[in-house]
Amino acid sequence: MKKVSLVHLKPNHKGRVSEISGGLGLRHRLMSMGLYVGKEVTKLSYIGLRGPVVIRVGRSVLALGHGMAMKIIIEAE
Amino acid sequence: MIKKIYLIGNPNVGKSVVFSRLTGVHVVSSNYPGTTVEFIKGYLTSGNQKIEVIDLPGTYSLEPGSSAEEVAVSLLKEHSQDEIAVINVIDSTNLERNLLLTLQLVEEGFPTIACMNMCDDAVHRGVHIDISKLEEILQIPVISTCAVTGAGIKLLIDRIKEARSVSRSKLPHEERWKEIGRIIEQVQNLEHRHHRLRELLEDASVCPISGLIMAVGVIYVSFKIVRFIGESIISRITDPFFYETVQPLLEKMTAHWQEKSFVFHLLIGDLIHGKIDFKQSLGLLTTAPYIEFGMVLPYVISFYLVLSLLEDIGYLPRLAILLDNLLHHLGLHGYAIIPVLLGFGCNVPGILSTRVLESKRERFIASTIISIGVPCVPLQAMIVGLLGAFGGFYAGGVYLVLFCVILILGVILNRALPGYSPEFLIEIPPYRFPPLTMLARKLYFRVKGFLFEAVPIVLIGVLVVNILLYFKLFDVVTGLFAPVIHGLFGLPKEAIVALIVGFLRKDVAVGMLAPLGLSAKQLFIAATLLAISFPCIATFIVLWKELGVKDLIKSTLIMITVSIIVGAMLNFVILR
Repeated sequence: MKKVSLVHLKPNHKGRVSEISGGLGLRHRLMSMGLYVGKEVTKLSYIGLRGPVVIRVGRSVLALGHGMAMKIIIEAE
Repeated sequence: MIKKIYLIGNPNVGKSVVFSRLTGVHVVSSNYPGTTVEFIKGYLTSGNQKIEVIDLPGTYSLEPGSSAEEVAVSLLKEHSQDEIAVINVIDSTNLERNLLLTLQLVEEGFPTIACMNMCDDAVHRGVHIDISKLEEILQIPVISTCAVTGAGIKLLIDRIKEARSVSRSKLPHEERWKEIGRIIEQVQNLEHRHHRLRELLEDASVCPISGLIMAVGVIYVSFKIVRFIGESIISRITDPFFYETVQPLLEKMTAHWQEKSFVFHLLIGDLIHGKIDFKQSLGLLTTAPYIEFGMVLPYVISFYLVLSLLEDIGYLPRLAILLDNLLHHLGLHGYAIIPVLLGFGCNVPGILSTRVLESKRERFIASTIISIGVPCVPLQAMIVGLLGAFGGFYAGGVYLVLFCVILILGVILNRALPGYSPEFLIEIPPYRFPPLTMLARKLYFRVKGFLFEAVPIVLIGVLVVNILLYFKLFDVVTGLFAPVIHGLFGLPKEAIVALIVGFLRKDVAVGMLAPLGLSAKQLFIAATLLAISFPCIATFIVLWKELGVKDLIKSTLIMITVSIIVGAMLNFVILR
C-alpha cells in the first residue's frame, strides 16, 4: 500500500481516496459528485503535460484538472 | 393542491427532454452538462388543471456549489412545501450518484417523485433496478421512464399527485453515502458484461494518444461532412432554383423597367454585363435572398446537423479534456471549447454559453476571443465562397491567421488580466445515440432561429445600404477613412462601406466586397478584418448584456487594436 496523488497513480490502476487536501469548497464539490474519502476509484487516463486526469468513480467518469488531481491522495492497491 | 412542479436532477440526465414531454415546450437539450443555465417555465395540462412546470438547472446536490445550484435551491424554497411537487429526474444507468440529491430532497421534506429516466439505456448496459423495492425504501413514488421515446411519461403525470413529504432523518454527507451504498446493494443488480464497442470507444476517447487520433479524425470528418452537405445543397437545390427559376422570372418582370431608376436600383441593383448577377448586383430581390438562402443557409443546415450530432452523442466533453492543456495557457479550461464551437455557428449562442464558465475573468476572455477569432457560419460560407475561387490556400489562410490571433491574444490576456484560471471538473457522459426525430427537431429549431434572426436584418441592411449608395452618402465616410483603409490595409477606399456593413451582418458585408473586383490579397485582408474587427450588432448587444458596459468597452478597444495590427501586418509583412 503506498499513497500517491491521482496524477501519479498509474492508469488502469485502482485505489481508495485517503485524503483530499483541498479546501472545504473543493471537498464539497467532489463529495456531491460521488468522490469522497474512502471511495474506490479507477484511473482511466492522464492527458500528460499538466493536463487533466480521467477517473471512474462508481458508474460515472470524471475529468479533473491537474491541480485538483494533485490534491487527491490515493492509497493504491 | 399542487400549484407548481419543479424538475430537478443531476446535469445530463435528460431532464430537459422530460420537461418538453410534460409541457410540450421545446428545449434544446444536449449530451453535456450545463445546457440549462437559466430555468425554463412551461405548463402541464392534466385534466382541467394547468400547473406551472419549472425546469431547474442541473445540480448534484442541494448544498450550493455553483451558481446554477444556488438558483435551483433558492427557487425550490420560494413556495411552501404543500403547494409544490418536485420531480427528481434520475439517470437509471448511474443510480448511485443520483441518489445523493434524491435523499437530500426527501430529507428536506420536499414532496418528491422519482423519475428513473433512460431506463432503456440502463437495460442495454446491464443495469437492473428493482423499482418497487426502491419505492419501498424511499417511501416516495418511483416511476421508470424513457423520455426520449415517451415511455412512462403518462404514468409519471398520473402519479404526480401522490407526491408528499415523508419524514426521514437528516444525515451528514459521509453517512448519506454509506446509506446510498446500502440502498444500491438492495435494489441494483449489475449484469456482468464484456466491454462492447461503445465502451471501448468511450475509453479510447479519453486517453491521450488514442484520444488525440480520434479527435483529429472526428474534426476532419465533421469538416468534410459539413462541406459535402453544404455544397450538395447548393449545387443540387439552391443554385438551380436561383439560376433556373428566379433569374428568368426577375428578368421577365423587369424587362421594361428603367435600369437607372431608383426602384430598379433598390430591387435588382446593378446589372453585371447586362445581366443579373446574384453575387454582385446587390439588390433586395437578387443578392439579398441569394446570400441568405443560396450561400449561407445550406452551410447553416449542414453545420448545425453535424454539431447537434456531436453534442447528442456526447463527444464534446471528451474534446474538452484533450484541449484543457492548451486552453489553460489562454486563461480558460477545457470546457471553454463548447462556447467556442457554438460560436462557429453564430457568435450569439457562443457568447451566451460562456455562462458555463465559472469566473468573470474566464467569461471575458472567452467572449472576447469568440468575437474576434471565431468566424460564424454566415461569414465562413461567404469567405469560402469568394476566396475559395482563388484556391483553397487563401480560404485556409484566413483560418490560420484567426487561429494564431486567438492563441496570441489569449496568452496576452491571460498574462495581463489579474486572477487565475480555475480548475476543470466535469463529468464525462457516456455515448448516447440520439433518435433521429430528436435530432431533426433540434436542427429545425436552430435553423428556424437563424432564419428569423438573419433574414429581416439582411433585407433591411441591403435596403439601407442601397439607399445610401444611390444618394452617394457613403462618399463622406469613404473619404474620411481612406488613409487607414488604403494606406494601412491596402484596400480600395470603397471597402470601408463593406466593413461598416459588417457591423450589421457579416455575410452581406462579404457580399459587398464581391463587386469591388479585389485582388486575392485584398480580399484576404478584407475578409480577415471582417472576422476580427467588430462583431455584428446582435453579438454586440449580447456582449453588452453579458459583460456589462465597462468590459464591453475594454473588449471593443482590444478588437480595434487587434484589427489594426493584424490588418497592417498582413498588408506590409506577411502578404507582401
